Amino acid sequence: MKHFIRTFTSAAALSALATVAMADVELLHDKGFWSEALEAVGDASETSTGNRLVQTPYATPEQYKAFVQTSAASGEMPDLFTWWTGGVYEELIASGQVASMDPLWEKMIASGNFDASLRDFYSVDGVAYGIPLHLSRWIALYNTDHFETAGITEPTTWEELNAAAEALKAAGITPFHATTQDGWRGFIWFQEIMIRTNPEAYAGLHDGSVAYDSDAVRNAFQIWSDWYAKGYFTDPRSNDEVGDFAKGEGAIYLIGDWAVGIVEGAGMTAGEDFSAFIMPNADPSLPSSSILEGSPIVMSVSGSENPDAMAALEFFTSVEGANAWAAASGNAIGNANAAAPNAVVEKINADVAANGTIAIGRWWESVPAELQGEIVAEFNRFMLDPTMETAEDVMATVQALNADYWANL
Amino acid sequence: MPKRETDDEILARIGLDTLAATEKHRTRRAFRTAFFFMAPAVAFVSIVLLFPVLYNIYISLTKWRRFSGFDEFAGARNYTRMIDNPFFAEALANTAIWVVASMTLPLAIGLGLAILLRGAPGEGAFKNIIFLPRILAPTVVGVLWFYVYAPDGVLNRALGVATGREVDIGWLYQDNTVTGAIIATFVWQSVGLVMVLILLGLAAIPRDPIEAATVDGARPWQVFRHITLPLLLPTLLVVTILSVLAGFTAFDLLWVMGVPYPGQRTLSLAVFMYFEAFQKGAWAFGSALAVVIGIVVLSVTWVQAAMQARIDRMTK
Amino acid sequence: MAVDLETLDFDQIAKAERRRGKGSWLIMGGALVMSAVWIVPFYYMIISIFKTTPEYAQKHPLALPDGVGPLIDNAVTAWNNAKMGAGLLNSFIYGSIGGALAIFIAALAAYGLTRFDFKGRNLWFMLIFSGTVFPFQMYLIPLFFTYQELGLLNTHLGMLIFYTAICIPFPVLVLRNYMNGLSREMDEAARMDGAREWTVFSRIILPNCLGPMTATFLLQFTWIWNDLLFSTVLANKTEVRSIMAALQVFQGSYSSFGPNVIMTAAIIASLPSLILFIFLRKHFMNGMRISNVG
Repeated sequence: MKHFIRTFTSAAALSALATVAMADVELLHDKGFWSEALEAVGDASETSTGNRLVQTPYATPEQYKAFVQTSAASGEMPDLFTWWTGGVYEELIASGQVASMDPLWEKMIASGNFDASLRDFYSVDGVAYGIPLHLSRWIALYNTDHFETAGITEPTTWEELNAAAEALKAAGITPFHATTQDGWRGFIWFQEIMIRTNPEAYAGLHDGSVAYDSDAVRNAFQIWSDWYAKGYFTDPRSNDEVGDFAKGEGAIYLIGDWAVGIVEGAGMTAGEDFSAFIMPNADPSLPSSSILEGSPIVMSVSGSENPDAMAALEFFTSVEGANAWAAASGNAIGNANAAAPNAVVEKINADVAANGTIAIGRWWESVPAELQGEIVAEFNRFMLDPTMETAEDVMATVQALNADYWANL
Repeated sequence: MPKRETDDEILARIGLDTLAATEKHRTRRAFRTAFFFMAPAVAFVSIVLLFPVLYNIYISLTKWRRFSGFDEFAGARNYTRMIDNPFFAEALANTAIWVVASMTLPLAIGLGLAILLRGAPGEGAFKNIIFLPRILAPTVVGVLWFYVYAPDGVLNRALGVATGREVDIGWLYQDNTVTGAIIATFVWQSVGLVMVLILLGLAAIPRDPIEAATVDGARPWQVFRHITLPLLLPTLLVVTILSVLAGFTAFDLLWVMGVPYPGQRTLSLAVFMYFEAFQKGAWAFGSALAVVIGIVVLSVTWVQAAMQARIDRMTK
Repeated sequence: MAVDLETLDFDQIAKAERRRGKGSWLIMGGALVMSAVWIVPFYYMIISIFKTTPEYAQKHPLALPDGVGPLIDNAVTAWNNAKMGAGLLNSFIYGSIGGALAIFIAALAAYGLTRFDFKGRNLWFMLIFSGTVFPFQMYLIPLFFTYQELGLLNTHLGMLIFYTAICIPFPVLVLRNYMNGLSREMDEAARMDGAREWTVFSRIILPNCLGPMTATFLLQFTWIWNDLLFSTVLANKTEVRSIMAALQVFQGSYSSFGPNVIMTAAIIASLPSLILFIFLRKHFMNGMRISNVG
């Protein structure tokens, strides 16, 4: 029946879907803003290997997640697709339909292009199931002109950060960008303040051992709320965070370095108009750290039986592939022999090497998958009304959800 | 050539049983032909619409979450879970607000307009204007009002002019304004149709009793209360039910306009169901919510049918 | 549920109504204010599409544009980025083919329900009509999974099947009522002359039902055109999604485009409904009479 319908669909010629030729490999993703960049990688893969990596965007992350979930439920996971690490990654792997990438990692590490420790980032129970689509550090982009105007340099301590904010404010510049745009951004400053004040408690949030209404969290909300009261943040209702930054509305934009290319697209030149620093810790005894985000490309078991799909991944992780992707999107995938995608990433790479900066997993990937949407909406609620009263309410609601989740696991 | 039988002879030969059998045969043949014509409709409706309803009820009784299958039976667990869910109560409360608002506001405004403006100069033009939003798709209306309500949008600017100072209300961002704002948009779009339907109903009311009563000295209010209103009741009932069902299942407006509001999932049961199923992957729980929505809608339809029957009896 | 009653009979009301001409000034004033409230959003929408994005940001939202030139740029930007060509074509395919198929199938069913005497006629009718009773939310999850299983998710065929099905019950109600009113003498006479049922249906009944069929078709077309929910759930890929889904997704990407561009997209998406309404008001009016409300 299924085949009949499929045949009929194409025979009816109603579907405008581009038919994927035999030697083409389809990569399904939900990152429409990288469609053109992935097309460029597709071109490069065709010239290099003869097989084209065809990107297929699938709109809205929720829809995309639902699509992959149901594909798995019906036993027909797509060959190659992008995913997230963390809770959703483990769930996906638990379905038993995701292929091991260990053989590919062996080659990647043997080639000297990749560090063996990166493999662990994509491993569950010692088996690697994904390769990096992008590896992004979460950093503070800043407007160099604004820093000059306020007479400040990159802050290296918490005190300097607060002083910098005060100086910017005094110069009539809003220090920090933060919006609720697209509904997912609410966790960014929560996560940052948590890892700067109490990384241990931050880690505990993700296994249920630390409550969302504990003192460590309350302390973070207090700092966040104080900064709001001091007028440090831009209007959370803005729908154009990148545009605001490019227009010079605020000075510091905390975001993954994947945004560097997007900011450049909005008219700023990396390294000239804006640069970046790694946020300092509130507790000086803590080691330098930054959030690491690394969306994986995963492959289904059936996809692993297609040698062309494997060849496409080998190309993607090669120096040539990584350079093509970096040039098109501004993203790095951790290939040590590939060129840095832009001046900002290059600068941050140097900082990381100099400070021995360690990586911490992003909140979004670390929180139980099914709580993501609800909790981040609560953080957004706080940003729209950043008083401690709302914070208490938010903490109570979030903790209720969190407790319920861990109790019924 | 055989001899022609008389009627008596034929009856005697065939017998009543056979007659009945022939009749039965005839209706069966009629049914077979009729079924040939009805079959496509029956097939489409039962496979694409009715089967999913049953399937939905089945799913709501399982434990289906995300990647797992739905073979495990859960009994009423998905239904009892609603009670503990912190967002369900809010979604239900907002749905109740929607039902009450969509039952009263379009009707009150539409009826008022219809009565006051009937026959007034410029009635035609006014009707056209009030009806205009109805031509647009709800999605388009949502997009338009999204910007009307924007922090630096038309509404805040207008309020600024009226109050003389800067107004910066995030209509679609705050708990206390979001539902009201979207309901206002709903009313803006739906009141035109309600008014036109009531005008049609009014036009269908015979003149004679009204004129007779007026001649006898009845006041306009009395005429309205005792003659016009009872005769208008069937129209009002239909209009109310249409508004309530539209309000109850409203999705497009909430989906488009509710995006900036952190509690979007709680804006109505319909939206909550979408979030639970398609965002969280709580398929079974989402199905249970759909069943609850179904029960409410069926009850409303049933009440309408019962009231319709009563009104029909009254007016006959 | 696929009953959309956005039809009205202005002319009929006007005829049925005697001009009373007794409106007081107070009522007139109120009506004017209310008309203004109703018109302003339209005015705002229309002037916005003639502004460039910087112009929109700088000016008062109700200020007149500098010129009409930016419309073309806005339209091109909207068209290309919202992939409106695909959306419009898809919705047109869904609305015209799905709507027409539904009306034809409904006419068949109505013929079967009115032209033959058999037991349980009402029951069969109720079975078909029950397709309008349930809220859409009850279809979403099962259809999503069944479509997924059958490979119909994100296909034109899948969307056509659904839209056809959802648009059948209401026209069955309308056409059944209408055919009941058609004299059976004509078709009996044709049957006497040896005409087959199919001939009776296609040569005698169908031509007589063209009026209500056109009217219900327009209603169903508009409903499909306006649908957002089912396209969002069952077909959300650029190539297959409906115009309303395309518009909603485009609006969600507001960060990249100004309200002027998004509003232009909204107007483009509405043009077909506006044109239909203006040119086919008579048929919409028929739809009103048929739907038997009021």
